[in-house]
Amino acid sequence: MSAKERETANVGAGLWKGIGMWAWMLFRISGLVLVFYLFFHLWVISQGRVGGPESLNKLFETFDKPLLVFLDLMLVAAVLYHALNGVRILLMDVGVGIRRHKAVFWVCMLVAALTLCAFAIKASSFILG
Amino acid sequence: MALGTETLDRSRGGMWPWLGQRVTAVLVIVTIMVHLVLTHYIAIGELSFDNIGDRLAGGAVLVNDIVLLVAVVYHALNGLRMVVLDWGLASSGGRRVFDAVLWLVGILAIVYGIWALWVWVS
Repeated sequence: MSAKERETANVGAGLWKGIGMWAWMLFRISGLVLVFYLFFHLWVISQGRVGGPESLNKLFETFDKPLLVFLDLMLVAAVLYHALNGVRILLMDVGVGIRRHKAVFWVCMLVAALTLCAFAIKASSFILG
Repeated sequence: MALGTETLDRSRGGMWPWLGQRVTAVLVIVTIMVHLVLTHYIAIGELSFDNIGDRLAGGAVLVNDIVLLVAVVYHALNGLRMVVLDWGLASSGGRRVFDAVLWLVGILAIVYGIWALWVWVS
């Protein structure tokens, strides 16, 4: 695929270069990861009804490991990135900040990073022991 | 249209899926933050069947979770549809079958999710 075709095939990325390209790629990847996690999450929670309270509690015990709490934090990161980049897209849709879109992007990322810090601090004792 | 944010989502995927994705985006952002703060922040380390039941008993959290469930299933499958259309699903027949499968999966996921939640309601 030539560069021109690639730009045409991924108009959602804007021009296929720079921060916009990475923002768009990460948006898609985080979105796809979250789609798979959504269905896994549905399965886990449904075990409270399928197998009863004990089987759900057993799953929670299984998940109570530093690595899995860390992965859970990474899911929070994926949600926050996807949400804040999504806010940026919504702002562009209604015409806010188009001429300062780079600044808007970094402000959104700052909000995502600060929110993630709050979750990370809370989770740290479960990850580091 | 150099500065616009016109995307294939709108032109190729259709206006309603485009609008639906934005409406559900707003709903998901609000409800998922409530969900994350309650379960991954306040209740971190305390998750259990009873802990979930206590939270859902209030009613407001149950409403939040059901709105989140419906909006996020739509948003997830519609997003998946955008990805597949971007990478090419040219035949209109194929697209109709694909759309039908996504609707079926989505409705089943929502029904299954509410059925699963109801163990804490009844």
